[in-house]
Amino acid sequence: MRHLLLFIVVFQSHAQISDFDHINFSKADQMALLCKNEGLNNMPELVYNLTSNLDTDIERYRAIYMWVCHNISNDYNLYLKNKRKRSKYQNDSIKLKAWNDRFKKEVFRKLLKQERTICTGYAYIVKELSKLADLDCEVIHGYGKTSMTHIDELDPPNHSWNAIKLDGKWYLCDPTWAAGIPNPETKIFTFEYNDGYFLSNPKLFIVNHFPEDKKWTLLDSKTNTFNGFLAAPILYGPAYTNLIEHIAPEEMHHSVHKNEKVTFKYKLQKSVVLESISFLIDDGNNSKKTTPNTVSIDKQSLTLEHQFDSRGFYDVHLYIDDDLISTYTFRVKD
Amino acid sequence: MKTQTIKKITQILGIVMITALFSCPSFAQSKDTATTTAADQQLTVKGKVTDDKGPLLGVNIVLKGSKVGVITDENGEFTFPKSLSSGDILVFSYLGYEKQNIKIDANTTYINLIMSSDLVEMMGAPSSNKPYKSKRFN
Repeated sequence: MRHLLLFIVVFQSHAQISDFDHINFSKADQMALLCKNEGLNNMPELVYNLTSNLDTDIERYRAIYMWVCHNISNDYNLYLKNKRKRSKYQNDSIKLKAWNDRFKKEVFRKLLKQERTICTGYAYIVKELSKLADLDCEVIHGYGKTSMTHIDELDPPNHSWNAIKLDGKWYLCDPTWAAGIPNPETKIFTFEYNDGYFLSNPKLFIVNHFPEDKKWTLLDSKTNTFNGFLAAPILYGPAYTNLIEHIAPEEMHHSVHKNEKVTFKYKLQKSVVLESISFLIDDGNNSKKTTPNTVSIDKQSLTLEHQFDSRGFYDVHLYIDDDLISTYTFRVKD
Repeated sequence: MKTQTIKKITQILGIVMITALFSCPSFAQSKDTATTTAADQQLTVKGKVTDDKGPLLGVNIVLKGSKVGVITDENGEFTFPKSLSSGDILVFSYLGYEKQNIKIDANTTYINLIMSSDLVEMMGAPSSNKPYKSKRFN
């Protein structure tokens, strides 16, 4: 389901989508739709068609971003091939550069001819189209953390996204993750647009995106470290459409005693009913849907408290209705 | 006096074109007479686009602020389909290469352009909706 307008009560001064609450994106989204079959053979013409009828930079960027997210597929095989090679040549900068130069040509050829690509391709095409519209847009390289990335493999950097300057302020977007999800088994990509990655709150973004150049966190660097990022919980796509902030716990892995109280805190994009909150707790053999011991909602503030009453090792997944939000692990001792 | 006037008109033309990019969707039509002024020099611009390895086929060349453009042939050559004036900007773009803006002046008849490959490192972790599963050793 598309979330075209996000109604967010004022919370932070961080540059995020709420800065544009007064803008209606439907015209920009419509332009993106109208240009659906245009392809990338004539990028200047595409940009012209996408943006010439729009009055503001934000709308022009929106049209470009939406076009990319709805027309460019994620090529899972290409991702695997690159991952293998980049890992292999990690310590050989000459071989790595040679691979990158060859691979880059393949990526651009596929992008042009088949409208398929990997993360950097998405970020790159958003940047190129934006530049043709005289927008200030950058590709940000860094680390992206998903339920499938192995933390010990998070070096070298593995993901790319965008920063866009609008009305003098920088904002963050992830067109790759916004476009949809490839199936790792079938390798088939399904378009499923997630609006939460458009002008995301930097405080949420940092939980699973860490830029190589720290200035692109758009946050105070002292409180946001790479180690903090490595230790953070896993977030899923729906976290970006449900949450404004993931406040607690700050870490993914926990060691607790039986009946020790654990607190979870979030800021929600919209108020929800108590019944929509649940944990899915996986003890290694079975997964059980559980209501947290305490659930309190105060406008957009959500606080949960839970105690584990049996020893064991648990993967705990938070759900809001059917949306998978985040995962934590708990080793519970006597 | 005359050269000053021409210069001033060209400057205004430049500003008008950039403003028009945002406010006049109709500006792009090739029949548009908005840009016809006394300063029009009716320049026919040709050229060749290459990279470090040879000619580039399929490079997009567009008059900035419009949809009027052309694509290079297998020799990397092009003839711009519309007469240009001093102050016009041609935008050269090609996927994987750094975009370039070339400003036309009264003496421009042939553009020899070398495009350089965009420096970009490729990486790509896709999103996943599969719930995380800890490795267990029991």
